[in-house]
Amino acid sequence: MTNTLDDRLDAIFDAVLDYQDAVTADLVKTELAHGTDLRVILNDALIAAMDEVGELFSQGTLFVPEMLMAARAMKAGLEVLRPRLTETDAQPAGKVVIGTVHRDLHDIGKNLVGMMLEGAGFTVVNLGVDVPPEAFLEAVDTHRPDLLGMSALLTTTMPNMGRTVELLRKEGWNGRIMIGGAPVTREFADAIGADGFAADAPAAVGLARKMIGAD
Amino acid sequence: MASNESSPRLRRRRRDRLAAKDDAAQQTSRADDAAFEVSIPEPYAGPTAAANRPDFAYLDAARLEALVERCFALIEHRGVDVNHAAAVKRLAKAGCKVDADGVRVRLPRALAEEALAAAPRATMLCSKSGRFDLDIPRRDNTFHMRTGTGAHGFIEPGSRYRKLVLADVKTIATVSDGLPEVGFIAHPFIYDAPERTADIHGLAALLSASEKHNWIQPYDTENVGFLMRLAAVAAGGESALRDRPIVSCIACSFSPLEFKEMDVEAIIQSGRYSIPIHACSLPTAGGTAPVTMPGTVLMAGAEILAMAVLTHVLAAGTPLIATPLIFALDMRTGRSLQSSVEALTGAAMAVQLCKRGFGLMTHSYGAGADTPDVCGQSQAERALLGLMVGLSGADILGGIGQLECATVFSPIQAIIDNELGAMQRAWLHTPRIDDDSLAWELMIEVERGGHFLANPHTLKHCREVFAPSAFLKLAREPYEKAGRRTELDNAMAIYEALMLRKAPHGLPDADAVAEMAEIVAAADRAILD
Repeated sequence: MTNTLDDRLDAIFDAVLDYQDAVTADLVKTELAHGTDLRVILNDALIAAMDEVGELFSQGTLFVPEMLMAARAMKAGLEVLRPRLTETDAQPAGKVVIGTVHRDLHDIGKNLVGMMLEGAGFTVVNLGVDVPPEAFLEAVDTHRPDLLGMSALLTTTMPNMGRTVELLRKEGWNGRIMIGGAPVTREFADAIGADGFAADAPAAVGLARKMIGAD
Repeated sequence: MASNESSPRLRRRRRDRLAAKDDAAQQTSRADDAAFEVSIPEPYAGPTAAANRPDFAYLDAARLEALVERCFALIEHRGVDVNHAAAVKRLAKAGCKVDADGVRVRLPRALAEEALAAAPRATMLCSKSGRFDLDIPRRDNTFHMRTGTGAHGFIEPGSRYRKLVLADVKTIATVSDGLPEVGFIAHPFIYDAPERTADIHGLAALLSASEKHNWIQPYDTENVGFLMRLAAVAAGGESALRDRPIVSCIACSFSPLEFKEMDVEAIIQSGRYSIPIHACSLPTAGGTAPVTMPGTVLMAGAEILAMAVLTHVLAAGTPLIATPLIFALDMRTGRSLQSSVEALTGAAMAVQLCKRGFGLMTHSYGAGADTPDVCGQSQAERALLGLMVGLSGADILGGIGQLECATVFSPIQAIIDNELGAMQRAWLHTPRIDDDSLAWELMIEVERGGHFLANPHTLKHCREVFAPSAFLKLAREPYEKAGRRTELDNAMAIYEALMLRKAPHGLPDADAVAEMAEIVAAADRAILD
């Protein structure tokens, strides 16, 4: 085989876009065996692929399940890199704590945001569902994230976003907060003092990048 | 079609992606942007194999049989009036009883049964290029659609109602050629041509501008021959027209139970060129037919059965497509309605009678409304009509773009109808019930709080969902941000894109167009002078 580095990175990129998680993981292992800098694998193949996925979704070319399956494939590649990432000076794009607010058990959209953020190189701490304001506060104390993301599907649980923001600010946490979910609007975000609103997962990635100044 | 790969054609190569990294940072919301990227609708693929079409039936077997029996009895005992001396002679020779007036013809049941048995069960409506040939019945067991005929008003996009003129024929052709659900195109009535030859002027313009199959509607007996000659020239000669009929022709009854000379001549001439005949009955409940809808349906059925006999005797072997178009008189105003509750009921029954009772290929209105403008009422009426007629078994749904009881054509409405037609075809599949469609293994394995979004089964089937072109599914914020954009704004964008399409394939060449112009001029001289 006389494949160049570019050819091999192309193959990883294509495997993510073809939703091939096992193939992606194998190709990443092979690339590491070639001695390629893992930041190159991460940025120029895996993250590049998820950027393409996000853009295709925004254009209406890819559907939600396809975006999700691509994110899974990317994550499979990322899991191969993860042990090495901690051993090197490779820095994630940022750290994000996410969760679905108190009394709300819906997590598909929030998990999709989490996977897309991981795909964009963020470290994601996913608190799950039904997360009380106090648990968000504890999480930001523990994990020291750059961003906090909250999700709600129900109009009846949306007010818990406001309560969480209020508690975090009262306790002195000044990190950036973004929110999303079916009933959530930009006006609501402004009203409760959140720093941003995203309508879907690719928009959340764009917003997160903007918030940490990577954009 | 399900796919396990995003289309390589649509995605960028990695190296191009990296070169455009600045763009990559700009992840935006689909709801914000993509919802407004409107393009010309793609064809709705329909089922990959012939679908098991769900049947809606007002008429159970006993009621259907009763109606069929009365149709045979009505044309045998009461008879029909045929205003075409030569045709009456041939009918008499075939065994029909003719009254002393030489017009009233009683059609024996045995002959009517023979006509139904001999009627072709399938045909092909050919396009000029061959790219849009229509198999009737449609291979996927749904239906084809066609534009409205008889329109004499036009609602120009972005403007208001006006009389329809010759130049509009090209617009209708361009829009219809580009809309995948439009199978064939009818010529409208035009005001800027002599009234008595407007059909000839209109058809010549349509044949010169549209790639798809065209529908001939003669306005007088002596016009029929000129219309057929135009079609023959556009097809490349009479023999070519017989081989590939790029036109089909309507022949109408004159309710109650009468046939004008022109329509009988249309049957004879269609037979001469092997052109499929749309055997059309247009009774109006309470006017030219009984106010009770079963009586109106009987009228339509009897007239179409009579046309099957006429075709069998006068144009044997010519494909006949039963075309009941049911109207109801508005008892408050005397206006004729095509989408009233009663007319819809009648349309559904008449389609069932012709399709299941007679076993004929069947065509009826599946679009159209009684309102004069493109509005909510229009969409509601045509959606209900199309669904009822489609579920009743029609092979062709007519009336794309038509408003005000088939008298007005609107390109914007045609674009919405294209969308409605695709949706209605999508409904005409009885779903499979098997382990795959039930997702049985997943159902057994699903965990508490689980979901189906990230699953190979969902990936496999997620592209089978219907994708609208004009209809929007917006949340409030992007809707407001877009200035409250609606499906009509999208239809306007689609219209503008359609009008920019390249010239269609397979149009008559310059010599043929010149020859058609000579035929039109000859018709004007012969008919008007």
